[in-house]
Amino acid sequence: MSNLPFDPLLLAIAIPLAVAVAIACGLPKRWSIRLAYVGFAAPALMALHAWFYFAGQTQVHGYAYLTNYSTGLDGIHGLGISLKLGLNGISLPLFVLAGLVGLAAGLYAIQSTAERLKIYLMLLLVMQAGLMGVFASVDVVFFYLFHELALIPTFIMIGIWGGRDRSYAAMKVTIYLTAGAMLSLIGLIALYVKSGAPSFDLITLRQIIAARPLGETVQNNIFALLMFGFGILVSLWPLHTWAPLGYGQAPSSAAMLHAGVLKKFGLYGLIQIALPLLPHGAAHWSHTLAALAAVGNVLIVGFITLAQRDLKQVIGYSSVMHMGYAFLGIACYSVLGAGGVVLLMVAHGLSVALLFLLATSIFHRTHTFELTEMGGLAQKTPVLAAFFVAATFASIGLPGFANFWGELTIFVALWQYSHCLTVIAISGVVISAVYGLRAAAKVFFGPPTEAFARVAAQHPPSDLNWREKVPALILLAALLFIGFWPKSLSTSLDATLHAVYAAPTSAGPTAGGPAVSGK
Amino acid sequence: MLQPAILILLLPLLSAAVIALFLRRQGGIAAIVSTLTAASIAAMALILALHGGRGEDQVDWLTLGGFTLSLGVKFDDLAALMLVIVGIVGLCVHVFSLGYMHDDGAKARYFGGLSIFMFSMIGIVLADNLFMIFIFWELVGFSSYVLINHWHEKTSASDAAKKAFITNRVGDFGFLIGIIWCYWANGTVNLTQLGEHHVFSTAIPLLLFCGAVGKSAQLPLQVWLPDAMEGPTPVSALIHAATMVAAGIYMLCRIHVLMVPDALTVIMWTGAATALYAACCAIVQSDIKKVLAYSTLSQLGYMVAAFGLGSLATEENGIKVVIAAGVGAAMFHLTTHAFFKALLFLGSGSVIHGCHHEQNIFKMGGLRTKMPLTFWTFTLGVAAIIGLPGLAGFFSKDAILYLAFANNKAVFAVLAFTAVLTALYMTRVWRITFFGAARSESAAHAHEGGLTLTLPLIVLAVLAVIGGYVGIYPKVFTGVFELIPEAHGSDHTTILITSLVVLILGAGSALLFYKPSATDALEERSPGLFRLLASKLWFDEIYQWYIDKVQQRFALLLNFLEQIFLAGFIVRGGAGLVGLFGLGARALHVGKLNVYLYWFLAGVVVLWLFATGVL
Repeated sequence: MSNLPFDPLLLAIAIPLAVAVAIACGLPKRWSIRLAYVGFAAPALMALHAWFYFAGQTQVHGYAYLTNYSTGLDGIHGLGISLKLGLNGISLPLFVLAGLVGLAAGLYAIQSTAERLKIYLMLLLVMQAGLMGVFASVDVVFFYLFHELALIPTFIMIGIWGGRDRSYAAMKVTIYLTAGAMLSLIGLIALYVKSGAPSFDLITLRQIIAARPLGETVQNNIFALLMFGFGILVSLWPLHTWAPLGYGQAPSSAAMLHAGVLKKFGLYGLIQIALPLLPHGAAHWSHTLAALAAVGNVLIVGFITLAQRDLKQVIGYSSVMHMGYAFLGIACYSVLGAGGVVLLMVAHGLSVALLFLLATSIFHRTHTFELTEMGGLAQKTPVLAAFFVAATFASIGLPGFANFWGELTIFVALWQYSHCLTVIAISGVVISAVYGLRAAAKVFFGPPTEAFARVAAQHPPSDLNWREKVPALILLAALLFIGFWPKSLSTSLDATLHAVYAAPTSAGPTAGGPAVSGK
Repeated sequence: MLQPAILILLLPLLSAAVIALFLRRQGGIAAIVSTLTAASIAAMALILALHGGRGEDQVDWLTLGGFTLSLGVKFDDLAALMLVIVGIVGLCVHVFSLGYMHDDGAKARYFGGLSIFMFSMIGIVLADNLFMIFIFWELVGFSSYVLINHWHEKTSASDAAKKAFITNRVGDFGFLIGIIWCYWANGTVNLTQLGEHHVFSTAIPLLLFCGAVGKSAQLPLQVWLPDAMEGPTPVSALIHAATMVAAGIYMLCRIHVLMVPDALTVIMWTGAATALYAACCAIVQSDIKKVLAYSTLSQLGYMVAAFGLGSLATEENGIKVVIAAGVGAAMFHLTTHAFFKALLFLGSGSVIHGCHHEQNIFKMGGLRTKMPLTFWTFTLGVAAIIGLPGLAGFFSKDAILYLAFANNKAVFAVLAFTAVLTALYMTRVWRITFFGAARSESAAHAHEGGLTLTLPLIVLAVLAVIGGYVGIYPKVFTGVFELIPEAHGSDHTTILITSLVVLILGAGSALLFYKPSATDALEERSPGLFRLLASKLWFDEIYQWYIDKVQQRFALLLNFLEQIFLAGFIVRGGAGLVGLFGLGARALHVGKLNVYLYWFLAGVVVLWLFATGVL
């Protein structure tokens, strides 16, 4: 049952890519759409398979499904680049996230009335292939290449299908993200060169560095490159201003995939590569990172979110705020902290994708994103209201949804690192409740505003239809499933983190229970 | 042994899921599913509590880096008692809702919400560790939000729901810090293990108390509870009177081993202040539900104060024993209060239903004859809360008064005075609502509701009468009720006299002062005092000022700085500088051959200078 006759990881990348190529070759629209279903469903099925049978797989160096495809570059010229695919406990949750959000975004795109739907779907499929590739790659070069593959369609989609300010947004997002990607690329290359490893694959890199750790200065410098490079990609304060603008302008499916999945690339890179390989660098920079995240992302951006009057801006800024928790978890440098970040990444990816999806569905009924021009929508669309309220509560960390586990474990881990920062971080829980519930109330409750009454008179709003409901249900079901059964992710995550973070955990918590810290 | 407990927990979750997935449009069936679930919970809770064993068990829920969060059940007498209360009141409220919400358009959502609430509340009751309490703690907050928001087309309801959740989150902010601190300080948050060993700390119990301040609406987070009356009345009875708001006291009793004298002092005075404050507010309310809401606040303050009064050293047969009397007294009052306050709320619901959704007591009157059953059951409820000897409230209030008398005379004075006020405002609302002539069209046409409305009233009235004897002669739940402080000898006489004087003073002055008329006697005779009490000490105004003038302005300022300074000046400015440089560079490329030639020659010269070392 668990041993497939094919490599699910390769298929998860190849099928969407093949469909994209087929569409590009001029397939008629009807067939394009039919194939697109396959292109979006295949990665999701592979991801679900990997999720449920991961434990039963034979694992080599902590990786399941480990396979190596020669690129012709391995060994020659001493570079050592090969398409090495595999999943460990850290990448599995994100692989699942990419599959599910990709399916939801794809289904939502297919039912959308986007112009030039074929090209739109093609770009989304390329992005989807790239995303699956990012989290399935064991080789650092391919990890980076797949990210670029997914990133470029984002720019194009913002530029063509974006909102009113799309050109400026596309330009700004491109410059920021390219700069971030470039910094991190320099960091990755430096890491490879300084380690003296014969290959870019992460397993070899880990072994070499474990045997011969890098010098402190080298670690500090490389970590800085990775931290700020990845930091830009994950909207670390104050390098975050591209995010709310970009998401505000991006078409819904692109925003879902980018905010939901692609943005996690940076955090994933920090947890999978930077922290374990550069522990000294991480310790050196952790104070800067934690301070920026707590004061900048959580407090300042939290307050800025309170001032937003546009629904998409609220979601965009809240997403920047929640990334602050992720950085705080990274700064802890512990299994618990890093594990919390992975849980939060998955949860946030699902919930923010759901929120962007629902925001677009709301827009189709209100013809505006301005919160002051809505109100009372719940009377006409109770199901949409229920979904949105559920998504809001998920994103503000209500237990029962996946987000709660991420936030809770990060808070618990953070207390060991700094009491003061924990208090700041937990105050964010109150702030997010304020803006989340305020937005939900403005859209759905109370009597309709005059502006909305006029719109509703012209276009009577109908409730969520099945073509919108199915992608929303996929995301909501995943949030609830992880929320009720966190072990479905945490068991393999814990095992991998223990192995990867094994060496320098003298400061971390011990298995028998925490050391008494107290004051 | 623990399977039945797990079943009780999961049954309402299943009911909520079935309603959400399949019965959205079938409100009638949803109501029956939810009510049957509540009935099974009540039955199983009674069987389990009275005949089942006690014990605890847990499974791992999440394990990450040495941190384990377990899903566990701790079923001791305290949990069993609370489970029975939740089961019985829950069933009464479900049955009452069948009638009260009969014509509501969103019945399925309402009953689904009740099921989620039952699930979350039972989770708090059964939880064996603080993280699990916190999880269900948040979930009851969510179900409370959904149910307060039931009539969401009213802005007041939607605002009240939002306010309730956010205010609770403010309390939970401290609560969560306390739990995390407790975890790292003690290495565990399991209630039993904490009982065996924990470090001495004042901050931890006080932070945990913050959770109770939010959930049980103690000063200064009391503002959400009166507003929560925007929800349907049965919800007010179940969530905002009998069970959820009492969860704060239950949680304190769960962690009483962590308490230290300084923390208890803070808790005691918070409770006493809330009791007195809310009783003062209740005197001037004209909305029947608001009177009951402030009364609930006041009674919750009583319980918190009782808990804060701490343990009591007594002598039995010459042996000195120290009992956790605070726990006993608080839980005893929680029990009796759950019955009589649910009764009063459902009675008010019956009145509101009978008067076609009129809630102003000055527009009622004469209901004694039109709604006799409601009148008599409400009368029993009033008699119980003001402490008429022999009824439930009398015993539990006396236990608290005695504990205060023994431990702290100042608190005793505050609580006794609060009891006077309680008798005063309850008699006032009783007199004005039920006596005299009908003072409005809707009151004139008032009528008694059907069996679903009256049956729960009868059941709760019986419990409000006999509920006290369970505590006085403990046969069941002995683990809790044996902790109830009992006065002996001269103390006994003092307390008895005090409570009789309190009763006569409060109820008597109300009967003399308030006549069933269309206006408030206090407002006419002493408008200054009335206005002071009606101001509720401007808590709402001060918070609103903070939100509008401080928090929102600060947010706008930061937003302005972000847009202008960061995204504008730095980012756009940076882009502009690059652009300017580009413009300059472009100016050099004018497209004329001779200009390029000059640049070339200049370049050659510079190179030559470099090469020869002149530069």
